[in-house]
Amino acid sequence: MASYGLGSLTRADGTVARVDAQTLESQALSAIEAAATVDEVEEARVRFLGRKAELPQALRAVRDRETGMTLNAVRRRIEESADTREEELGRAELDRRLREERVDVTLPGDELPVGHLHPITQVRRMVEDAFLGLGYEIRDDREVETVAYNFDKLAFEPTHAARSPRDTFFLDETRVLRTETSASQIHQLEEREPPVYMVSIGRVYRRDAITATRYPIFHQFEGLAVDRGITLADLKGTLRHVMRALYGPERAVRFRTHYFPFTEPSIEPDVSCGVCGGVGCRTCKYSGWIEMGGAGMVDPRVFENVGLDPELWSGFAFGCGLERTAQLRHDIPDIRALWEGDLRVLRQF
Amino acid sequence: MLIPVSWLRDYVALEMPLAELGERLSVATGVVAAIEARGVSDEGGNLDLFRVGKVLEAVKHPNADRLQLCKVDLGEAEARQIVCGAWNFGAGATVGVALPGAVLPNGLELDERMVRGESSNGMILSEEEVQLGSDHAGIMVLPELVPGTPLADVLPLADHVLDVEVTGNRPDLLSIYGVAREIAALYELELAPPPGIDPARADEESLSIAIDDLAGCPRYVGCLFREVTVAPSPVWLRARLLAAGMRPISNVVDITNYAMLALGSPLHAFDWSTLRGGRIVVRRAEAGETLRTLDGVDRRLDPSDLMITDGERSVALAAIMGGEETEIGEATTDVLLEAANFEPFGIFRTSERLRLRTEGSNRWEKGVDPHLAGQAAKLATQLLVEVAGARWVGEADVHAGLPERPSIVYRPERADAAIGLPTPPAEQYGLLARLGFDRDGERVLAPTWRARDVTREIDVVEEVARFRLDDVPFTLPTRRAMFGTLSRAQQLRRRLEDALVGLGFSETYTPSLRPAGTDSGPWSLPEPISVELTVLRTSLLPSLVEAARRNVDAGAERIALFEIARVYLAGDDLPDEHVRVAGIVEGGFGRAKGVVEAVYRALKAEPSFERGEDERFHPGKTARTAAGLVGELHPAALEGTWGAFELDLELLFAVSQEPVTFEDVVSFPLVRQDIAVAVAEEVEAGALVAAVREAAGPELREARVFDVYRGEQLGSGIKSVAIRLAFQSPERTLTDDDVAPLRERIVATLAERFGAELRA
Repeated sequence: MASYGLGSLTRADGTVARVDAQTLESQALSAIEAAATVDEVEEARVRFLGRKAELPQALRAVRDRETGMTLNAVRRRIEESADTREEELGRAELDRRLREERVDVTLPGDELPVGHLHPITQVRRMVEDAFLGLGYEIRDDREVETVAYNFDKLAFEPTHAARSPRDTFFLDETRVLRTETSASQIHQLEEREPPVYMVSIGRVYRRDAITATRYPIFHQFEGLAVDRGITLADLKGTLRHVMRALYGPERAVRFRTHYFPFTEPSIEPDVSCGVCGGVGCRTCKYSGWIEMGGAGMVDPRVFENVGLDPELWSGFAFGCGLERTAQLRHDIPDIRALWEGDLRVLRQF
Repeated sequence: MLIPVSWLRDYVALEMPLAELGERLSVATGVVAAIEARGVSDEGGNLDLFRVGKVLEAVKHPNADRLQLCKVDLGEAEARQIVCGAWNFGAGATVGVALPGAVLPNGLELDERMVRGESSNGMILSEEEVQLGSDHAGIMVLPELVPGTPLADVLPLADHVLDVEVTGNRPDLLSIYGVAREIAALYELELAPPPGIDPARADEESLSIAIDDLAGCPRYVGCLFREVTVAPSPVWLRARLLAAGMRPISNVVDITNYAMLALGSPLHAFDWSTLRGGRIVVRRAEAGETLRTLDGVDRRLDPSDLMITDGERSVALAAIMGGEETEIGEATTDVLLEAANFEPFGIFRTSERLRLRTEGSNRWEKGVDPHLAGQAAKLATQLLVEVAGARWVGEADVHAGLPERPSIVYRPERADAAIGLPTPPAEQYGLLARLGFDRDGERVLAPTWRARDVTREIDVVEEVARFRLDDVPFTLPTRRAMFGTLSRAQQLRRRLEDALVGLGFSETYTPSLRPAGTDSGPWSLPEPISVELTVLRTSLLPSLVEAARRNVDAGAERIALFEIARVYLAGDDLPDEHVRVAGIVEGGFGRAKGVVEAVYRALKAEPSFERGEDERFHPGKTARTAAGLVGELHPAALEGTWGAFELDLELLFAVSQEPVTFEDVVSFPLVRQDIAVAVAEEVEAGALVAAVREAAGPELREARVFDVYRGEQLGSGIKSVAIRLAFQSPERTLTDDDVAPLRERIVATLAERFGAELRA
């Protein structure tokens, strides 16, 4: 008996072939070694280990344990060799394919649809977030108001210019397109006992001809805080926080005396010009300051109109335009650009 | 209002830089003050090049018939030769001359030059050229003066103007004196007494004035003048009016305007000889009465309009505009000066109704101090005598007692509480005293010129606050309650916006008002500013269709737009307002519906679609959900194939399942099965799926139509609908045996309801 087990197998025709395992193994290993592709490895595998190949047939015919173990060992070694070679070649083929698949990475990618939030909405969210951070709630009220809510309860004097159809859109004698979001103050105070901290955001209407700086429809955000012991200093601090949230922490904020029917004292906040840094330029009309809106301490008449005692409660209110904020943030020179729905404009934001 | 600084200096000595004054007025008084230089620039000694000259010789230019050749003495060694185009002067006239190198207010720089062969060494000035008048026909002839005198020494050549924008509560600042008074208070300066001193009365004629309506006209001062010479005003007067933005007319009219600008109480002058009744009666208009105002318009009067009459007929629309018939003319010699006071609201109503706003009505509407009328009459009287050579022969002052100064209980600690910055009481009373307030124990008395504005304690607090505005610290409210959350609707709205942006839509804003005729909405403006903005819209889509069309015209590709805004439907007292989302997108029905389905998914809601109908949409490709419409646009609405939708936000959010409840879809596997049924063409897929769901019960997790097939073997009018089913239980693994009866129930239900035949 040789060191390699010898088997015999009975062929289908009845002849018995002797199998030289050593020879078979070396033939198989060299065939696998010589294979240049995964397919050639597979061919060799079939040739030596396939169902009709000599080795498996010999294995099936084997009767003694020792021969079986020997032949199985040979088969395992051939299989391992084929697996190894296949993996090697597979990796090489993949490498080659990947090398061939190299693309010009500077070509554009697939064109996917990308949408855009309107700058007014972006600013609206900034305003909302700034006030949410201060613990305010957000309101959105009706746009058509009664004269009572738009003017009377807000203590507009009977001769205030805003009561004229030359300044305000009247539907009839008692109904108007709201001229500011201030009616929300009344709604809020009528709906709930103070403390109240809210900001109302929405469309308002003024009878202005359409120009680069004015549009008869625009958006305001208007805040109201009513609590015990609210002061003008609280208003200054709140507005400075909000202005810096909108325009940047480096901005200076100043206040000027003003007049509004529903606040007393009334003030107007200015923010230092972001274009020139306060030195004076065309944007700020050489004043160094940009007007931001109106504000003031809630007038006692407004409290009386909603049944609150002005000796007990105090508060402040303020209002600013969203378009103006968006224009300043993005340096948009013409307000009409915000209302025309032109994708060349909208897709910038 | 324009405040010439030179005029202001008549009443208060200004020592501070004008820029600082503007800043202070802006912060403490709330008037937006822009400062503008006016007249001849003083830059680089330019003002020095304007001199008084004496014309020594004036002859026709040898080579030009329309020009004069002048020799002008300018106090120099030699007279200058100057060519001039005006002929309203001759040798001996004293004139203003600009020397070569001078820059005129219009920017023109003069040089020495040849005019038709003769040299011209300067320019003889007209009023218009130095902004002292509007007369450019002739040059300005001056009184006798020493030649060579700087012109600025004798004429207000250079000035600054404060452009103050007065807030509605401060009509006292609608006058030069009022602004001077405010500045004096801010800076603790001395204020001159108000202008106007009665000259001696030349005669004592009686003057009859009656006020029928003392509420509408609390005071009427009338002054009668004889032998008035109507002529152009002197240069100084015209210069002041022009600098204040008013056009000079004639001395009498100019004087009334001057007194109004100086003191803030408007005046009017009548030609006395045209007042047929010879007296003044102030009354409401009679029914059917008309008046031709001096702008030449016939005004139909309303019984609520306040009229000045001469006892026989109306001669002026009180406080707003005089009548044409009684206007001052060149031939006028007898003048009745009116310095009255009118109640604001009635004037406002009349001026509103007639759409007539004037310098006068603008002041009356804001409320003018009745105490001012007497002073205004004094100033005008003085000027009529001095400037127009008038004889002052009569006066009457009718009123029912002038209003008392408001007396207000004042607690200085209230100011500290409101402002958030303590100011010692003595300092508060000191500031108030500077503003004309007087302390009266627990009370303060407001000055008459602030009587309308300052009536309550808080109004006094404001006076203190505005002085200290810059010192007020920056604090935040001490909170006892917080409200800082977005509501559910606000959160869902953000999600909706983000979902549409994610789907490639760009957000747009379009006007809420539509052109007349494009929206049959029930609410429209009786007086729109343009036909484009007339009707409150009842739908967002038309605006988006227009925006899409404009974008097509602009060459945009892959157009997808959305808007979230209100619509205004019929309501009770007020419109029924609803917030909606609408979108338009290139592509057909499938695209639009896909977007709507994705929106519902993003909102954690399950849409259910049924056939919809809307004339703006393709009649066969319109669906509706409970929240609104989706479909393919009618090709007549916009060329091409477009998908569109419009949904009500409230209804949309109502079906949102947010916050979603967890379902166990991991522990036990899905069992997938497909069925295909043959049904009549008109059976809608949605109905089939609804029936499948109903039949199968809760273990059917998914039912989605994935194929619709039509073919010969099915026969005409029949289609095969393939539905992918997925069954799953959160409690156990479903077997084929579990699913088989569900499937049978589905097939049976479809057969029963739709005559469906199982194909696979």
